Amino acid sequence: MSAVIDSPPHRPADPRAVEWELWAGATLFGCILVLALIGPMLSAQDAQFIDLEHRFLPPLSTGHVLGTDQLGRDLLARTLHGLRWSFTTAACATALAFSIGTPLGLLAGRSRSLVGKTIRQVTALAQSFPVFVLAVSVVAIVGNGFIALAAILGLVTWPVFCRVVQAETASLFRREYVLAAGMLQMSSWRLYFSHILPGLAASLTVLVPFHFADMLIAESALSFLGIGAPLGAATWGNMLQESRSYLLNAPWIMLVPAGAVVILVITANLLGDGLRRRGQ
Amino acid sequence: MNRKALAFLCWVRDLLFLIAGTTTLLFFLLRLAGDPAIVLAGPDATEEQLAAVRAEYGLDRSLAAQYVSYIGNLASLHLGNSLSDGTPALTKVLTAFPTSLLLASLAMLATLIVAIPTGVWLGARRGDPARTLVRWSLFLLQGCPAFVIALLLVQIFAIELTWVPALGYAGPASWILPAVSVASFLTPKLTRMIEANVSIALDSAYVRTARAIGASNREVLWRHALPNAMLGATALIGAQLAFIVTGLVIIETLFAWPGIGWLLVQSTTNLDFPVVQAITLVAVIAVFLINSFTELLQYWLDPRQRGYTQLDSEAAA
Repeated sequence: MSAVIDSPPHRPADPRAVEWELWAGATLFGCILVLALIGPMLSAQDAQFIDLEHRFLPPLSTGHVLGTDQLGRDLLARTLHGLRWSFTTAACATALAFSIGTPLGLLAGRSRSLVGKTIRQVTALAQSFPVFVLAVSVVAIVGNGFIALAAILGLVTWPVFCRVVQAETASLFRREYVLAAGMLQMSSWRLYFSHILPGLAASLTVLVPFHFADMLIAESALSFLGIGAPLGAATWGNMLQESRSYLLNAPWIMLVPAGAVVILVITANLLGDGLRRRGQ
Repeated sequence: MNRKALAFLCWVRDLLFLIAGTTTLLFFLLRLAGDPAIVLAGPDATEEQLAAVRAEYGLDRSLAAQYVSYIGNLASLHLGNSLSDGTPALTKVLTAFPTSLLLASLAMLATLIVAIPTGVWLGARRGDPARTLVRWSLFLLQGCPAFVIALLLVQIFAIELTWVPALGYAGPASWILPAVSVASFLTPKLTRMIEANVSIALDSAYVRTARAIGASNREVLWRHALPNAMLGATALIGAQLAFIVTGLVIIETLFAWPGIGWLLVQSTTNLDFPVVQAITLVAVIAVFLINSFTELLQYWLDPRQRGYTQLDSEAAA
Protein backbone atom coordinates (compact mmCIF):
# COMPACT_ATOMS: atom_id res chain seq x y z
CA MET A 1 0.00 0.00 0.00
CA SER A 2 2.99 2.28 -0.12
CA ALA A 3 4.21 1.95 -3.65
CA VAL A 4 5.70 5.42 -3.80
CA ILE A 5 7.94 5.10 -0.80
CA ASP A 6 9.11 1.52 -1.20
CA SER A 7 9.76 1.69 -4.88
CA PRO A 8 13.38 1.31 -5.87
CA PRO A 9 15.12 4.45 -7.06
CA HIS A 10 15.36 4.47 -10.83
CA ARG A 11 18.27 5.62 -12.85
CA PRO A 12 17.43 8.38 -15.35
CA ALA A 13 15.43 6.56 -17.98
CA ASP A 14 15.19 7.00 -21.69
CA PRO A 15 12.76 9.93 -22.17
CA ARG A 16 10.90 8.07 -24.90
CA ALA A 17 10.27 5.16 -22.52
CA VAL A 18 8.90 7.61 -19.95
CA GLU A 19 6.48 9.11 -22.40
CA TRP A 20 5.48 5.67 -23.58
CA GLU A 21 4.47 4.46 -20.13
CA LEU A 22 2.56 7.60 -19.33
CA TRP A 23 0.76 7.74 -22.67
CA ALA A 24 -0.15 4.06 -22.66
CA GLY A 25 -1.49 4.38 -19.13
CA ALA A 26 -3.41 7.57 -19.85
CA THR A 27 -4.92 6.24 -23.10
CA LEU A 28 -6.02 2.97 -21.52
CA PHE A 29 -7.39 4.83 -18.52
CA GLY A 30 -9.36 7.17 -20.79
CA CYS A 31 -10.84 4.24 -22.72
CA ILE A 32 -11.82 2.49 -19.48
CA LEU A 33 -13.41 5.66 -18.16
CA VAL A 34 -15.50 5.99 -21.33
CA LEU A 35 -16.47 2.31 -21.04
CA ALA A 36 -17.51 2.87 -17.44
CA LEU A 37 -19.66 5.82 -18.46
CA ILE A 38 -21.39 4.44 -21.56
CA GLY A 39 -20.69 0.72 -20.94
CA PRO A 40 -24.18 -0.57 -20.15
CA MET A 41 -25.44 1.06 -23.37
CA LEU A 42 -22.96 -0.97 -25.44
CA SER A 43 -24.40 -4.31 -24.58
CA ALA A 44 -27.91 -5.22 -25.56
CA GLN A 45 -28.38 -7.63 -22.66
CA ASP A 46 -29.26 -6.84 -19.08
CA ALA A 47 -26.60 -7.77 -16.54
CA GLN A 48 -29.11 -9.68 -14.42
CA PHE A 49 -31.17 -11.23 -17.22
CA ILE A 50 -31.32 -14.99 -16.65
CA ASP A 51 -31.60 -17.13 -19.77
CA LEU A 52 -31.47 -20.81 -18.86
CA GLU A 53 -31.70 -21.81 -22.55
CA HIS A 54 -28.26 -20.30 -23.19
CA ARG A 55 -26.14 -21.33 -20.20
CA PHE A 56 -22.36 -21.84 -20.43
CA LEU A 57 -21.99 -20.35 -23.93
CA PRO A 58 -18.26 -19.93 -24.65
CA PRO A 59 -16.89 -16.53 -25.72
CA LEU A 60 -17.50 -15.40 -29.33
CA SER A 61 -20.93 -17.03 -29.44
CA THR A 62 -23.53 -15.18 -31.47
CA GLY A 63 -25.16 -12.50 -29.40
CA HIS A 64 -22.76 -13.06 -26.48
CA VAL A 65 -19.26 -11.81 -27.34
CA LEU A 66 -17.74 -12.92 -24.03
CA GLY A 67 -20.07 -15.87 -23.50
CA THR A 68 -22.59 -16.54 -20.73
CA ASP A 69 -22.37 -17.85 -17.18
CA GLN A 70 -24.06 -20.67 -15.28
CA LEU A 71 -27.43 -18.88 -15.39
CA GLY A 72 -27.13 -17.75 -19.01
CA ARG A 73 -26.37 -14.15 -18.02
CA ASP A 74 -24.30 -12.22 -20.56
CA LEU A 75 -20.70 -11.91 -19.34
CA LEU A 76 -19.99 -8.73 -21.32
CA ALA A 77 -22.94 -6.95 -19.72
CA ARG A 78 -21.95 -8.18 -16.26
CA THR A 79 -18.31 -7.21 -16.72
CA LEU A 80 -19.28 -3.70 -17.84
CA HIS A 81 -21.65 -3.39 -14.90
CA GLY A 82 -18.88 -4.61 -12.61
CA LEU A 83 -16.52 -2.03 -14.09
CA ARG A 84 -18.88 0.75 -13.01
CA TRP A 85 -19.15 -0.67 -9.51
CA SER A 86 -15.41 -1.27 -9.04
CA PHE A 87 -14.39 2.02 -10.62
CA THR A 88 -16.73 4.14 -8.50
CA THR A 89 -16.01 2.29 -5.27
CA ALA A 90 -12.24 2.55 -5.75
CA ALA A 91 -12.49 6.20 -6.86
CA CYS A 92 -14.67 7.18 -3.88
CA ALA A 93 -12.45 5.31 -1.43
CA THR A 94 -9.34 6.99 -2.89
CA ALA A 95 -10.99 10.41 -2.76
CA LEU A 96 -11.99 9.87 0.87
CA ALA A 97 -8.53 8.65 1.92
CA PHE A 98 -7.01 11.60 0.05
CA SER A 99 -9.26 14.20 1.64
CA ILE A 100 -8.72 12.89 5.18
CA GLY A 101 -5.02 12.08 4.86
CA THR A 102 -3.84 15.26 3.14
CA PRO A 103 -5.04 17.87 5.70
CA LEU A 104 -3.92 15.69 8.61
CA GLY A 105 -0.55 15.20 6.94
CA LEU A 106 -0.18 18.98 6.44
CA LEU A 107 -0.96 19.47 10.11
CA ALA A 108 1.36 16.73 11.33
CA GLY A 109 4.24 17.78 9.09
CA ARG A 110 4.42 21.18 10.74
CA SER A 111 2.79 21.08 14.15
CA ARG A 112 4.80 20.55 17.31
CA SER A 113 1.61 20.30 19.36
CA LEU A 114 0.10 17.20 20.91
CA VAL A 115 -2.26 16.87 17.94
CA GLY A 116 0.64 16.78 15.51
CA LYS A 117 2.49 14.26 17.63
CA THR A 118 -0.58 12.03 17.92
CA ILE A 119 -1.13 12.06 14.17
CA ARG A 120 2.51 11.17 13.57
CA GLN A 121 2.23 8.34 16.08
CA VAL A 122 -0.94 6.99 14.48
CA THR A 123 0.47 7.06 10.95
CA ALA A 124 3.72 5.42 12.07
CA LEU A 125 1.79 2.59 13.71
CA ALA A 126 -0.68 2.35 10.83
CA GLN A 127 2.21 1.47 8.53
CA SER A 128 2.32 -2.03 9.96
CA PHE A 129 -1.37 -2.28 10.79
CA PRO A 130 -3.32 -5.09 9.11
CA VAL A 131 -5.92 -2.74 7.60
CA PHE A 132 -7.62 -5.47 5.60
CA VAL A 133 -8.47 -7.33 8.82
CA LEU A 134 -9.92 -4.10 10.19
CA ALA A 135 -11.91 -3.57 6.99
CA VAL A 136 -13.35 -7.09 7.23
CA SER A 137 -14.30 -6.70 10.89
CA VAL A 138 -15.89 -3.30 10.25
CA VAL A 139 -17.94 -4.83 7.43
CA ALA A 140 -19.09 -7.36 10.04
CA ILE A 141 -20.38 -4.51 12.17
CA VAL A 142 -21.81 -1.94 9.76
CA GLY A 143 -22.90 -4.26 6.94
CA ASN A 144 -22.08 -4.22 3.23
CA GLY A 145 -23.14 -2.21 0.20
CA PHE A 146 -21.64 0.53 -1.91
CA ILE A 147 -21.52 3.40 0.60
CA ALA A 148 -20.31 1.22 3.47
CA LEU A 149 -17.60 -0.34 1.31
CA ALA A 150 -16.23 2.93 -0.09
CA ALA A 151 -16.39 4.58 3.34
CA ILE A 152 -14.63 1.71 5.12
CA LEU A 153 -11.85 1.44 2.55
CA GLY A 154 -11.28 5.20 2.65
CA LEU A 155 -11.41 5.40 6.42
CA VAL A 156 -8.89 2.62 7.02
CA THR A 157 -6.36 3.72 4.38
CA TRP A 158 -6.03 7.48 4.90
CA PRO A 159 -2.71 7.07 6.81
CA VAL A 160 -1.09 6.19 3.46
CA PHE A 161 -1.71 9.75 2.22
CA CYS A 162 -1.03 11.27 5.62
CA ARG A 163 2.41 9.67 5.85
CA VAL A 164 3.57 10.91 2.43
CA VAL A 165 2.15 14.43 2.89
CA GLN A 166 3.60 14.67 6.38
CA ALA A 167 7.11 13.68 5.28
CA GLU A 168 7.02 16.01 2.25
CA THR A 169 5.62 18.95 4.25
CA ALA A 170 8.30 18.57 6.90
CA SER A 171 11.01 18.53 4.24
CA LEU A 172 9.48 21.50 2.35
CA PHE A 173 9.47 23.56 5.53
CA ARG A 174 13.23 23.08 5.73
CA ARG A 175 13.81 24.48 2.22
CA GLU A 176 15.35 27.94 1.91
CA TYR A 177 12.54 29.48 -0.13
CA VAL A 178 9.96 28.45 2.44
CA LEU A 179 12.13 29.68 5.31
CA ALA A 180 12.60 32.95 3.45
CA ALA A 181 8.85 33.33 2.88
CA GLY A 182 8.30 32.71 6.58
CA MET A 183 10.85 35.33 7.53
CA LEU A 184 9.21 37.83 5.19
CA GLN A 185 6.07 37.49 7.33
CA MET A 186 4.05 35.71 4.70
CA SER A 187 0.80 34.56 6.29
CA SER A 188 0.41 30.85 7.02
CA TRP A 189 -2.47 30.45 4.61
CA ARG A 190 -0.57 32.09 1.77
CA LEU A 191 2.50 30.02 2.60
CA TYR A 192 0.51 26.80 2.38
CA PHE A 193 -1.26 27.73 -0.83
CA SER A 194 1.64 29.26 -2.72
CA HIS A 195 4.54 27.07 -1.59
CA ILE A 196 3.56 23.92 0.25
CA LEU A 197 0.63 22.60 -1.78
CA PRO A 198 2.36 23.07 -5.17
CA GLY A 199 5.37 21.28 -3.71
CA LEU A 200 3.18 18.33 -2.71
CA ALA A 201 1.40 18.03 -6.05
CA ALA A 202 4.01 15.78 -7.68
CA SER A 203 4.02 13.10 -4.99
CA LEU A 204 0.25 13.18 -4.61
CA THR A 205 -0.42 12.71 -8.34
CA VAL A 206 1.83 9.63 -8.24
CA LEU A 207 0.22 8.27 -5.10
CA VAL A 208 -3.38 8.58 -6.37
CA PRO A 209 -3.20 5.99 -9.20
CA PHE A 210 -1.33 3.49 -7.02
CA HIS A 211 -3.83 3.92 -4.23
CA PHE A 212 -6.66 3.55 -6.73
CA ALA A 213 -5.17 0.20 -7.81
CA ASP A 214 -4.88 -0.92 -4.18
CA MET A 215 -8.49 0.06 -3.49
CA LEU A 216 -9.62 -1.79 -6.61
CA ILE A 217 -7.89 -4.96 -5.44
CA ALA A 218 -9.20 -4.57 -1.89
CA GLU A 219 -12.75 -3.98 -3.13
CA SER A 220 -12.80 -6.97 -5.45
CA ALA A 221 -11.14 -9.11 -2.77
CA LEU A 222 -13.86 -8.21 -0.25
CA SER A 223 -16.58 -8.98 -2.79
CA PHE A 224 -14.77 -12.20 -3.65
CA LEU A 225 -14.88 -13.19 0.02
CA GLY A 226 -18.62 -12.55 -0.06
CA ILE A 227 -18.56 -9.63 2.37
CA GLY A 228 -18.21 -6.61 0.07
CA ALA A 229 -20.83 -6.14 -2.60
CA PRO A 230 -24.38 -7.39 -2.03
CA LEU A 231 -24.61 -11.07 -3.00
CA GLY A 232 -25.70 -11.64 -6.59
CA ALA A 233 -24.83 -8.12 -7.77
CA ALA A 234 -22.81 -7.99 -10.99
CA THR A 235 -19.38 -7.12 -9.57
CA TRP A 236 -16.03 -8.65 -10.51
CA GLY A 237 -15.46 -10.07 -7.05
CA ASN A 238 -18.86 -11.75 -7.02
CA MET A 239 -18.39 -13.07 -10.57
CA LEU A 240 -15.04 -14.60 -9.60
CA GLN A 241 -16.57 -16.14 -6.50
CA GLU A 242 -19.43 -17.69 -8.47
CA SER A 243 -17.06 -18.95 -11.19
CA ARG A 244 -15.24 -21.26 -8.78
CA SER A 245 -17.76 -24.08 -9.14
CA TYR A 246 -17.39 -24.17 -12.94
CA LEU A 247 -13.61 -24.01 -13.39
CA LEU A 248 -13.48 -27.44 -15.02
CA ASN A 249 -16.11 -27.03 -17.72
CA ALA A 250 -16.46 -23.29 -18.19
CA PRO A 251 -13.17 -21.59 -17.29
CA TRP A 252 -14.15 -18.42 -19.19
CA ILE A 253 -16.62 -17.53 -16.42
CA MET A 254 -13.51 -17.01 -14.27
CA LEU A 255 -11.16 -15.72 -16.98
CA VAL A 256 -13.38 -12.83 -18.15
CA PRO A 257 -13.69 -10.97 -14.80
CA ALA A 258 -10.09 -11.96 -13.88
CA GLY A 259 -8.87 -10.34 -17.10
CA ALA A 260 -10.94 -7.24 -16.36
CA VAL A 261 -9.43 -6.81 -12.88
CA VAL A 262 -5.89 -7.35 -14.18
CA ILE A 263 -6.31 -4.85 -17.05
CA LEU A 264 -7.66 -2.12 -14.78
CA VAL A 265 -4.95 -2.67 -12.12
CA ILE A 266 -2.17 -2.70 -14.73
CA THR A 267 -3.56 0.49 -16.30
CA ALA A 268 -3.46 2.26 -12.93
CA ASN A 269 0.08 0.94 -12.29
CA LEU A 270 1.25 2.13 -15.73
CA LEU A 271 -0.19 5.56 -15.07
CA GLY A 272 1.50 5.72 -11.65
CA ASP A 273 4.87 4.53 -12.98
CA GLY A 274 4.69 6.98 -15.88
CA LEU A 275 3.85 9.93 -13.61
CA ARG A 276 6.62 8.97 -11.19
CA ARG A 277 9.27 8.80 -13.92
CA ARG A 278 8.17 12.10 -15.39
CA GLY A 279 8.54 13.67 -11.95
CA GLN A 280 12.16 12.53 -11.67
CA MET B 1 18.33 5.50 32.60
CA ASN B 2 20.21 4.02 29.68
CA ARG B 3 19.16 4.25 26.06
CA LYS B 4 18.15 0.63 25.66
CA ALA B 5 15.71 0.81 28.55
CA LEU B 6 14.23 4.00 27.11
CA ALA B 7 13.86 2.41 23.69
CA PHE B 8 12.11 -0.52 25.34
CA LEU B 9 9.72 1.83 27.16
CA CYS B 10 8.92 3.52 23.84
CA TRP B 11 8.18 0.11 22.37
CA VAL B 12 5.83 -0.77 25.25
CA ARG B 13 4.13 2.61 24.83
CA ASP B 14 3.58 1.94 21.11
CA LEU B 15 2.15 -1.51 21.80
CA LEU B 16 -0.27 -0.23 24.45
CA PHE B 17 -1.27 2.66 22.19
CA LEU B 18 -2.01 0.21 19.38
CA ILE B 19 -4.07 -2.14 21.56
CA ALA B 20 -5.99 0.72 23.16
CA GLY B 21 -6.66 2.33 19.77
CA THR B 22 -7.88 -0.87 18.13
CA THR B 23 -10.12 -1.96 20.98
CA THR B 24 -11.60 1.52 21.44
CA LEU B 25 -12.33 1.69 17.73
CA LEU B 26 -14.07 -1.68 17.78
CA PHE B 27 -16.00 -0.79 20.93
CA PHE B 28 -17.43 2.42 19.54
CA LEU B 29 -18.04 1.07 16.02
CA LEU B 30 -20.09 -1.75 17.48
CA ARG B 31 -22.22 0.72 19.44
CA LEU B 32 -22.49 3.27 16.64
CA ALA B 33 -23.78 0.67 14.22
CA GLY B 34 -26.98 0.14 16.17
CA ASP B 35 -27.98 -2.22 18.94
CA PRO B 36 -24.87 -4.30 19.73
CA ALA B 37 -27.08 -6.92 21.37
CA ILE B 38 -28.45 -7.77 17.91
CA VAL B 39 -24.92 -8.08 16.49
CA LEU B 40 -23.74 -10.09 19.47
CA ALA B 41 -26.74 -12.40 19.67
CA GLY B 42 -27.20 -12.78 15.93
CA PRO B 43 -30.06 -11.53 13.72
CA ASP B 44 -32.43 -14.41 14.59
CA ALA B 45 -32.30 -13.94 18.36
CA THR B 46 -35.54 -13.82 20.34
CA GLU B 47 -36.44 -11.03 22.80
CA GLU B 48 -35.37 -13.20 25.78
CA GLN B 49 -32.01 -13.98 24.18
CA LEU B 50 -31.45 -10.27 23.53
CA ALA B 51 -32.23 -9.48 27.17
CA ALA B 52 -29.83 -12.20 28.29
CA VAL B 53 -27.08 -10.82 26.05
CA ARG B 54 -27.72 -7.28 27.32
CA ALA B 55 -27.39 -8.48 30.91
CA GLU B 56 -24.30 -10.57 30.17
CA TYR B 57 -22.43 -7.77 28.43
CA GLY B 58 -23.87 -5.03 30.64
CA LEU B 59 -25.44 -3.28 27.66
CA ASP B 60 -28.19 -1.86 29.90
CA ARG B 61 -25.66 0.37 31.67
CA SER B 62 -24.24 3.75 30.57
CA LEU B 63 -21.68 3.93 27.75
CA ALA B 64 -18.88 5.03 30.09
CA ALA B 65 -19.57 2.20 32.55
CA GLN B 66 -19.65 -0.26 29.65
CA TYR B 67 -16.32 1.01 28.38
CA VAL B 68 -14.66 0.62 31.78
CA SER B 69 -15.88 -2.95 32.19
CA TYR B 70 -14.91 -3.72 28.58
CA ILE B 71 -11.34 -2.59 29.26
CA GLY B 72 -11.38 -4.59 32.50
CA ASN B 73 -12.44 -7.71 30.60
CA LEU B 74 -9.72 -7.15 28.03
CA ALA B 75 -7.08 -6.79 30.73
CA SER B 76 -8.10 -10.16 32.15
CA LEU B 77 -8.11 -11.58 28.58
CA HIS B 78 -11.85 -12.19 28.66
CA LEU B 79 -12.93 -11.57 25.08
CA GLY B 80 -16.28 -13.31 25.27
CA ASN B 81 -17.43 -16.63 23.86
CA SER B 82 -17.98 -17.58 20.27
CA LEU B 83 -21.67 -17.20 19.39
CA SER B 84 -21.62 -20.24 17.12
CA ASP B 85 -20.29 -22.88 19.52
CA GLY B 86 -19.79 -21.21 22.88
CA THR B 87 -16.04 -21.82 23.18
CA PRO B 88 -13.95 -18.86 24.38
CA ALA B 89 -13.18 -16.62 21.38
CA LEU B 90 -9.51 -16.26 22.28
CA THR B 91 -8.99 -20.04 22.51
CA LYS B 92 -10.58 -20.45 19.10
CA VAL B 93 -8.28 -17.86 17.57
CA LEU B 94 -5.13 -19.17 19.23
CA THR B 95 -5.94 -22.70 18.03
CA ALA B 96 -6.13 -21.47 14.42
CA PHE B 97 -3.05 -19.27 14.75
CA PRO B 98 -0.26 -21.89 14.18
CA THR B 99 -1.94 -23.00 10.94
CA SER B 100 -1.75 -19.43 9.65
CA LEU B 101 1.81 -19.11 10.83
CA LEU B 102 2.70 -22.24 8.83
CA LEU B 103 1.20 -20.75 5.67
CA ALA B 104 2.89 -17.38 6.24
CA SER B 105 6.27 -19.05 6.79
CA LEU B 106 5.93 -21.22 3.70
CA ALA B 107 4.94 -18.17 1.67
CA MET B 108 7.89 -16.21 3.01
CA LEU B 109 10.22 -19.08 2.12
CA ALA B 110 8.81 -19.24 -1.42
CA THR B 111 9.15 -15.46 -1.77
CA LEU B 112 12.82 -15.53 -0.74
CA ILE B 113 13.62 -18.53 -2.97
CA VAL B 114 12.27 -16.66 -6.00
CA ALA B 115 13.09 -13.05 -5.15
CA ILE B 116 16.77 -13.33 -4.11
CA PRO B 117 18.19 -15.10 -7.19
CA THR B 118 15.94 -13.18 -9.60
CA GLY B 119 16.73 -9.84 -7.98
CA VAL B 120 20.47 -10.49 -7.93
CA TRP B 121 20.42 -11.67 -11.52
CA LEU B 122 18.48 -8.60 -12.69
CA GLY B 123 20.73 -6.26 -10.74
CA ALA B 124 23.96 -7.84 -11.97
CA ARG B 125 23.20 -8.41 -15.69
CA ARG B 126 22.51 -4.94 -16.90
CA GLY B 127 22.88 -5.49 -20.62
CA ASP B 128 21.15 -8.85 -20.86
CA PRO B 129 18.19 -8.81 -23.31
CA ALA B 130 16.41 -11.53 -21.28
CA ARG B 131 16.14 -8.93 -18.52
CA THR B 132 13.38 -7.06 -20.32
CA LEU B 133 11.30 -10.22 -20.48
CA VAL B 134 11.71 -10.93 -16.75
CA ARG B 135 10.94 -7.32 -15.87
CA TRP B 136 7.78 -7.41 -17.94
CA SER B 137 6.69 -10.64 -16.26
CA LEU B 138 7.24 -8.99 -12.88
CA PHE B 139 5.20 -5.99 -13.96
CA LEU B 140 2.35 -8.26 -15.10
CA LEU B 141 2.57 -10.29 -11.88
CA GLN B 142 2.33 -7.09 -9.88
CA GLY B 143 -0.88 -6.26 -11.71
CA CYS B 144 -2.55 -9.56 -10.82
CA PRO B 145 -4.38 -9.64 -7.48
CA ALA B 146 -3.40 -12.73 -5.47
CA PHE B 147 -6.87 -14.25 -5.62
CA VAL B 148 -6.78 -14.08 -9.42
CA ILE B 149 -3.39 -15.81 -9.40
CA ALA B 150 -4.74 -18.39 -6.96
CA LEU B 151 -7.75 -19.09 -9.20
CA LEU B 152 -5.49 -19.48 -12.24
CA LEU B 153 -3.18 -21.83 -10.30
CA VAL B 154 -6.15 -23.92 -9.16
CA GLN B 155 -7.45 -24.00 -12.74
CA ILE B 156 -4.11 -25.19 -14.14
CA PHE B 157 -2.52 -27.38 -11.46
CA ALA B 158 -5.50 -28.75 -9.54
CA ILE B 159 -8.21 -29.02 -12.17
CA GLU B 160 -6.50 -29.49 -15.57
CA LEU B 161 -3.39 -31.37 -14.43
CA THR B 162 -4.75 -32.72 -11.10
CA TRP B 163 -1.26 -32.64 -9.55
CA VAL B 164 -2.35 -31.14 -6.25
CA PRO B 165 -5.66 -30.80 -4.36
CA ALA B 166 -7.74 -27.70 -5.13
CA LEU B 167 -8.47 -26.98 -1.48
CA GLY B 168 -8.12 -28.21 2.05
CA TYR B 169 -5.33 -28.64 4.54
CA ALA B 170 -4.10 -32.23 4.29
CA GLY B 171 -0.40 -32.78 3.97
CA PRO B 172 2.38 -31.02 2.09
CA ALA B 173 0.83 -31.45 -1.39
CA SER B 174 -2.05 -29.23 -0.34
CA TRP B 175 0.33 -26.59 1.00
CA ILE B 176 1.91 -25.73 -2.35
CA LEU B 177 -0.82 -23.70 -4.05
CA PRO B 178 -1.78 -21.59 -0.99
CA ALA B 179 1.87 -20.84 -0.23
CA VAL B 180 2.63 -19.82 -3.83
CA SER B 181 -0.51 -17.66 -3.95
CA VAL B 182 0.37 -15.76 -0.77
CA ALA B 183 3.96 -15.44 -1.99
CA SER B 184 2.76 -13.74 -5.17
CA PHE B 185 1.72 -10.76 -3.00
CA LEU B 186 5.24 -9.80 -2.07
CA THR B 187 7.56 -11.38 -4.65
CA PRO B 188 7.44 -8.68 -7.38
CA LYS B 189 8.10 -5.83 -4.93
CA LEU B 190 10.90 -7.65 -3.13
CA THR B 191 12.55 -8.67 -6.41
CA ARG B 192 12.54 -5.10 -7.69
CA MET B 193 13.93 -3.86 -4.41
CA ILE B 194 16.78 -6.40 -4.37
CA GLU B 195 17.50 -5.59 -8.02
CA ALA B 196 17.79 -1.87 -7.31
CA ASN B 197 19.89 -2.41 -4.18
CA VAL B 198 22.27 -4.84 -5.88
CA SER B 199 22.81 -2.50 -8.79
CA ILE B 200 23.47 0.43 -6.44
CA ALA B 201 25.85 -1.69 -4.35
CA LEU B 202 27.75 -2.78 -7.48
CA ASP B 203 28.43 0.88 -8.25
CA SER B 204 29.64 1.72 -4.77
CA ALA B 205 33.17 2.38 -3.59
CA TYR B 206 33.53 -0.67 -1.37
CA VAL B 207 32.74 -3.00 -4.25
CA ARG B 208 35.34 -1.22 -6.42
CA THR B 209 37.86 -1.68 -3.60
CA ALA B 210 37.00 -5.37 -3.33
CA ARG B 211 37.52 -5.74 -7.09
CA ALA B 212 40.81 -3.87 -6.90
CA ILE B 213 42.01 -6.26 -4.20
CA GLY B 214 41.18 -9.11 -6.58
CA ALA B 215 37.78 -10.45 -5.54
CA SER B 216 36.11 -12.50 -8.26
CA ASN B 217 32.78 -11.51 -9.80
CA ARG B 218 30.97 -14.19 -7.87
CA GLU B 219 32.57 -13.12 -4.58
CA VAL B 220 31.72 -9.48 -5.20
CA LEU B 221 28.11 -10.32 -5.94
CA TRP B 222 27.29 -12.78 -3.16
CA ARG B 223 29.65 -11.67 -0.40
CA HIS B 224 29.67 -7.92 -0.84
CA ALA B 225 26.66 -6.71 -2.82
CA LEU B 226 23.93 -9.12 -1.66
CA PRO B 227 24.25 -8.69 2.14
CA ASN B 228 23.92 -4.96 1.69
CA ALA B 229 20.96 -5.39 -0.64
CA MET B 230 19.26 -7.67 1.87
CA LEU B 231 19.31 -4.99 4.56
CA GLY B 232 16.84 -2.87 2.63
CA ALA B 233 14.85 -5.98 1.81
CA THR B 234 14.52 -6.88 5.51
CA ALA B 235 13.00 -3.47 6.14
CA LEU B 236 10.61 -4.00 3.25
CA ILE B 237 9.53 -7.40 4.60
CA GLY B 238 8.80 -5.77 7.96
CA ALA B 239 6.84 -2.95 6.37
CA GLN B 240 4.86 -5.32 4.16
CA LEU B 241 3.79 -7.78 6.87
CA ALA B 242 0.34 -6.27 6.93
CA PHE B 243 0.18 -7.16 3.23
CA ILE B 244 0.90 -10.81 4.02
CA VAL B 245 -1.94 -10.79 6.54
CA THR B 246 -4.26 -9.52 3.78
CA GLY B 247 -2.99 -12.39 1.67
CA LEU B 248 -3.74 -14.86 4.45
CA VAL B 249 -7.34 -13.67 4.80
CA ILE B 250 -8.04 -14.03 1.08
CA ILE B 251 -6.03 -17.15 0.28
CA GLU B 252 -7.03 -19.10 3.40
CA THR B 253 -10.69 -18.51 2.55
CA LEU B 254 -10.14 -19.51 -1.07
CA PHE B 255 -8.42 -22.76 -0.15
CA ALA B 256 -10.50 -23.48 3.01
CA TRP B 257 -7.25 -23.39 5.01
CA PRO B 258 -8.28 -23.47 8.71
CA GLY B 259 -6.23 -20.48 9.90
CA ILE B 260 -7.24 -17.15 11.39
CA GLY B 261 -7.93 -15.56 7.99
CA TRP B 262 -10.47 -18.23 7.15
CA LEU B 263 -11.89 -17.98 10.68
CA LEU B 264 -12.21 -14.22 10.28
CA VAL B 265 -14.27 -14.48 7.10
CA GLN B 266 -16.38 -17.31 8.56
CA SER B 267 -17.07 -15.31 11.71
CA THR B 268 -17.82 -12.17 9.73
CA THR B 269 -20.34 -14.02 7.59
CA ASN B 270 -21.91 -15.59 10.71
CA LEU B 271 -21.84 -12.23 12.57
CA ASP B 272 -19.88 -13.97 15.33
CA PHE B 273 -18.60 -10.70 16.72
CA PRO B 274 -16.54 -11.86 19.74
CA VAL B 275 -14.40 -14.01 17.44
CA VAL B 276 -13.99 -11.19 14.89
CA GLN B 277 -12.82 -8.92 17.69
CA ALA B 278 -10.39 -11.50 19.08
CA ILE B 279 -8.91 -12.12 15.61
CA THR B 280 -8.47 -8.41 14.97
CA LEU B 281 -6.63 -8.00 18.27
CA VAL B 282 -4.44 -11.08 17.81
CA ALA B 283 -3.57 -10.07 14.22
CA VAL B 284 -2.69 -6.50 15.23
CA ILE B 285 -0.49 -7.64 18.10
CA ALA B 286 1.18 -10.40 16.04
CA VAL B 287 2.02 -8.03 13.19
CA PHE B 288 3.41 -5.51 15.66
CA LEU B 289 5.58 -8.13 17.37
CA ILE B 290 6.93 -9.61 14.13
CA ASN B 291 7.61 -6.11 12.86
CA SER B 292 9.56 -5.28 16.02
CA PHE B 293 11.48 -8.48 15.51
CA THR B 294 12.50 -7.54 11.95
CA GLU B 295 13.60 -4.14 13.26
CA LEU B 296 15.77 -5.83 15.87
CA LEU B 297 17.10 -8.17 13.21
CA GLN B 298 18.06 -5.22 11.06
CA TYR B 299 19.74 -3.55 14.01
CA TRP B 300 21.70 -6.71 14.60
CA LEU B 301 22.59 -7.21 10.91
CA ASP B 302 23.64 -3.65 10.15
CA PRO B 303 26.58 -2.34 12.17
CA ARG B 304 25.75 1.23 11.05
CA GLN B 305 22.46 1.14 12.93
CA ARG B 306 23.92 0.24 16.30
CA GLY B 307 23.80 3.14 18.66
CA TYR B 308 20.97 4.59 16.59
CA THR B 309 17.57 3.96 18.13
CA GLN B 310 14.02 5.08 17.61
CA LEU B 311 14.69 7.82 20.16
CA ASP B 312 17.14 9.46 17.80
CA SER B 313 14.66 9.44 14.96
CA GLU B 314 12.02 10.96 17.23
CA ALA B 315 14.45 13.59 18.42
CA ALA B 316 15.30 14.39 14.80
CA ALA B 317 11.63 14.79 13.82
